[in-house]
Amino acid sequence: MARPTTPTPEVRRAYVLGGNRIPFARAGGPYVRASNQDMLTAAIDGLVARYGLQGERIGEVAAGAVLKHSKDFNLTREAVLGSALSAETPAYDVQQACATGLETVVSLSNKIRLGQLESAIAGGVDSTSDAPIAVSNRLRRALLDLSRAKTVGQKLAAVAKIRPKDLAPVAPNTGEPRTHLSMGEHQALTTAQWEITQAAQDEVALASHQRLAAAYDSGFFDDLVTPFRGLTRDANLRADSSLEKLAKLKPAFGLGLDTPATMTAGNSTPLSDGASTVLLGSAEWAAAHDLVPLASLVDAEAGAVDFVHGDDGLLMAPAFAVPRLLARNGLTLDDLDYIEIHEAFAATVLTTLAAWESEEFGRTRLGLDGAFGTVDRAKLNVHGSSLAAGHPFAATGGRIVATISKELHRRKAASGSDAPVRALVSVCAAGGLGLTAILEAA
Amino acid sequence: MTTTVVLPKVPALGGLFARGAGLSLARRVRSGPTVLPDVEYVVRGVRASSDHLTEYQHLLGESASDALPAGFVHVLAFPVATALMVRSDFPLPLVGLVHVANRVTQHRPVLLTDALDVRATATDLRGHRSGTQVDLVTEVSVDGSVAWRGVSTYLARGVRLGGSGDEPATFVPPTPTGRWKLDGDIGRRYAAVSGDRNPIHLSALSAKALGFPRAIAHGMYTASRALADVGAGRGDAFEWSVEFVKPVLLPGTVTVRVAGSSEGFTFAGWDARSGKPHLTGSVTPLR
Amino acid sequence: MSDTYLNLVNSGFTKKVAKQLGLPQPSPLRRYEPGQPLLQGAVLVLGRGSESDALAGFLSSDWDLDVHRHATPGTRYSAVVLALTELTHPDQLSEPVLAVGAVLKELPKGARVVTVSRAPRADDAPAVAAARQGVDGLLRSLAKELRGGSTGNGVMLAAGVPVTAPSVVGALRFFLSTKSAFVDGQLLAVDSTAGTLPDDWAAPLAGRVAVVTGAARGIGASIADTLARDGATVVAVDVPAAGEQLVAVANRVRGTALQLDVTADDAGARILEHALQRHGRIDIVVHNAGITRDKLLANMTPDKWDSVLAVNIASQLRINEALLTSGDFTDAPRIVSLASTSGIAGNRGQTNYAASKGGVIGMVRATAPLLEAFGGTANAVAPGFIETEMTARIPAVTRQVARRLNSLQQGGQPVDVAETVAFLASPAAGGVVGRVLRVCGQNMVGQ
Repeated sequence: MARPTTPTPEVRRAYVLGGNRIPFARAGGPYVRASNQDMLTAAIDGLVARYGLQGERIGEVAAGAVLKHSKDFNLTREAVLGSALSAETPAYDVQQACATGLETVVSLSNKIRLGQLESAIAGGVDSTSDAPIAVSNRLRRALLDLSRAKTVGQKLAAVAKIRPKDLAPVAPNTGEPRTHLSMGEHQALTTAQWEITQAAQDEVALASHQRLAAAYDSGFFDDLVTPFRGLTRDANLRADSSLEKLAKLKPAFGLGLDTPATMTAGNSTPLSDGASTVLLGSAEWAAAHDLVPLASLVDAEAGAVDFVHGDDGLLMAPAFAVPRLLARNGLTLDDLDYIEIHEAFAATVLTTLAAWESEEFGRTRLGLDGAFGTVDRAKLNVHGSSLAAGHPFAATGGRIVATISKELHRRKAASGSDAPVRALVSVCAAGGLGLTAILEAA
Repeated sequence: MTTTVVLPKVPALGGLFARGAGLSLARRVRSGPTVLPDVEYVVRGVRASSDHLTEYQHLLGESASDALPAGFVHVLAFPVATALMVRSDFPLPLVGLVHVANRVTQHRPVLLTDALDVRATATDLRGHRSGTQVDLVTEVSVDGSVAWRGVSTYLARGVRLGGSGDEPATFVPPTPTGRWKLDGDIGRRYAAVSGDRNPIHLSALSAKALGFPRAIAHGMYTASRALADVGAGRGDAFEWSVEFVKPVLLPGTVTVRVAGSSEGFTFAGWDARSGKPHLTGSVTPLR
Repeated sequence: MSDTYLNLVNSGFTKKVAKQLGLPQPSPLRRYEPGQPLLQGAVLVLGRGSESDALAGFLSSDWDLDVHRHATPGTRYSAVVLALTELTHPDQLSEPVLAVGAVLKELPKGARVVTVSRAPRADDAPAVAAARQGVDGLLRSLAKELRGGSTGNGVMLAAGVPVTAPSVVGALRFFLSTKSAFVDGQLLAVDSTAGTLPDDWAAPLAGRVAVVTGAARGIGASIADTLARDGATVVAVDVPAAGEQLVAVANRVRGTALQLDVTADDAGARILEHALQRHGRIDIVVHNAGITRDKLLANMTPDKWDSVLAVNIASQLRINEALLTSGDFTDAPRIVSLASTSGIAGNRGQTNYAASKGGVIGMVRATAPLLEAFGGTANAVAPGFIETEMTARIPAVTRQVARRLNSLQQGGQPVDVAETVAFLASPAAGGVVGRVLRVCGQNMVGQ
């Protein structure tokens, strides 16, 4: 991409030292009564137990939830107070839709790189089972007017504005506020635009299930996942899935839209509950705590697309952010050993790859001489991703970063070479957002 | 020689409608004039209220700017044109008039703090394949220069003045970019901010009385939603035109496309099931 | 896990009824709490000879106990130590043993009787061997006569081990203390002079790193708690599925959690890697992880047999192999493995379990010599009926009977096993080599 860039200033490195998450449950499953705070606390406590951080004053903890109760205005701090960490550990909440988890990793890493922090815990949590229910706007306004009313007349007037239908509660949905299309419908449009077949989507889904199941079976997640509420593996994982079973599922998204429907419940992520955390630190802090750096965050790039006016698909921002990110770092897709693309839908991964392989997209939308490049599928989501694990929105970034950091470290250690081992992490998000990052094995 | 009628303030639409309805009844009995009155209606120093503006912006999904959305200026100014339409020498009956198109030219932003001078005229009475059309032109000036100009085209079905007009173009639904889910009360809510309490918008019962199966959405509500969906890309000066094809029955769902084009933005709203359009239009930035 | 019967016979009206009916009258046992004095009253040290005097002198000077060499009438002794290491003939038992008998009725609840004697050997003179072996029968019978939660245990010295050797003193202190509340009728052999006494008896494991398998709940969790209380840094290990409880344990003891299936091929390597990487050393490994898959042998299935053997003994052998070959398990290392009274006396329906637990006893006996060069030991603890989630699932009547089938007429608590593990893991127990210590309240069955 021909644009002037300044090289990343010389700063010290921030390392991923480990992670912990609880297994992801399906909505209405074993975490149905668990709140965001419960789950985040459990994920933090598991991290504390794994790394012996009891009573430790961590530099800062940042986490967030996409679906958040107003009472949870200080969710992360409350979770810290309920955890085995020192009560003197500061915390703050972050919200960037599905990119929340990755953004906490990026922003805390940057604080560590600048020397502002020595240690940090990044995280995210979401419950679609315990989603906040609000009163309607009209009822809310009437109640607020009522609370401000001074005379009986004003009070009566406020109450008189309430209509029976205003009393119906308002549940959150995955609809985009500006288009009122659900995320699935948006992706269905993009899927049709790029002519992605159901068979191709089912293959992505199957690989996700098979790879996640294999990782569990090999004990890969023994030091990444701590059971919660009796759940020991991600509830959505179907180790026995097959293309035949997936092919039988009826399209679930895009119905009513004037585009071919190919997206099924099998190749889309289910509504999920869960939490994840990532332990970050400087080299000095890691050494002082006998912790092994797994990977460092090299750089990150956020992107956004104008899906409102149909310029690009809602979930296509990473298709733009990644080329910018790699260009700034003088890298190409071939320089990456692992590519983690969050599977919001199987089609999200495939449309991103298709865009990168398209000559026209490369020229007209990315400003390149031709196609951006091809992703070697063997490098893609090597231990499965959201289709199999589930996707508690804000928890996904932490899941990916912890998983791939462990894998990076393992690969580097096994190689016995000094050659860098790199991973790309890409997470699409509501609002046409995307956040991408490069991690390098330590 | 044009007659200028200066009104002390913008009249309330409710009273105008009542008067218009009476005249319409009368006009059924005897045939009316066949030319437009050579008259302009003027109101000076109109000011918007911030609460009213906020209500409007929230309902339409406009950003909370102190610049008045073009649709909001229409809401402020159009009753002046309506006053003209309910004159006894206006050739078409108000009841049964159908708003078929609207074109607004926004020359520069109109601000909440501006004092607006509104001038309304009627022009171009002409034949159409299913009746007679007329343009109501409303100009809004600030400090003596026109900042906003709206042309609202109305059709009186069955009122024949000769001529046939164009055949409508066939509509092919494009790839949608969004959807409007319109609740049953959206007509009443837009009526509350626009003052347009035409019974066809208010309830199924009142709409039935006037020959509609259910209440229908205000055309300007849908056009203004589309303008809001275009967003900041429209710039400070633009032309916003819309044709209303088929009314939106309430409650109802309109599938929409609001997308960039070579000149600016085009938009369309249609019924995904039947493929029939409700409205089409464009927003074209000027200069 | 509460014992309703024990509560009933120790309170009010039901206590009276139970006494009149001649029902078993278990007494609540006093357990150790930090800061507790070793004994709450005077200790009577009986026995003749220089070793007897040396022992009495040690108790008086080093532990500041109120030591009496002869029974003073009217004194309620909290403990009686029978120093019998210098016996050469059974005739010599009479005087000290009858002297104990004279004070028995005056012992307070939770009193301690501890014999210190020498292990009989094949090359002993017959009279010497008779005297030494006689102590065994004497102690086991005496323990059965004690009431009110009092216990009788013995320390049995190998030839050449002085009475003030670290493990003799360590074992004696353990038996005198409330830490051995549910250990009764046991004779623990001290085989060598190895071992060191701690600077601080309240933190004998300070600076030591201990790995506890099966630490998520029950006895394992209690072991983790107890080792941490004694100053150890604990690595709490359990299967990934038990992770949630493991987190609670690890955070409680301020240790680290390691989710691991002990039957995995690389379990030993992963334990070593974790302990060395995170804590810089590994000193103690407690093999507590175990499962039961009870079935009469006639109905036994391969998976039930194989899984019990795999978890309960094969995994331990594999992990020990990794520890022994690592070169990092060399600073007075300790292996403490959980056996079971089933592995000693057998239990109907538990051929697989008893084989694995018998295997543990054999394993520690053969492993201990391999560690001796490093001042290390391997020993086993054999729990009897312990009140755990596992025994809570035994049918009610069977459970009631099982509880009463020992001298203390009650089930033990997980902490009783944990205290014994902690003792065997301590530097003071370096002279206890390849032994089994039962924590069973002197169960009627077996040795």
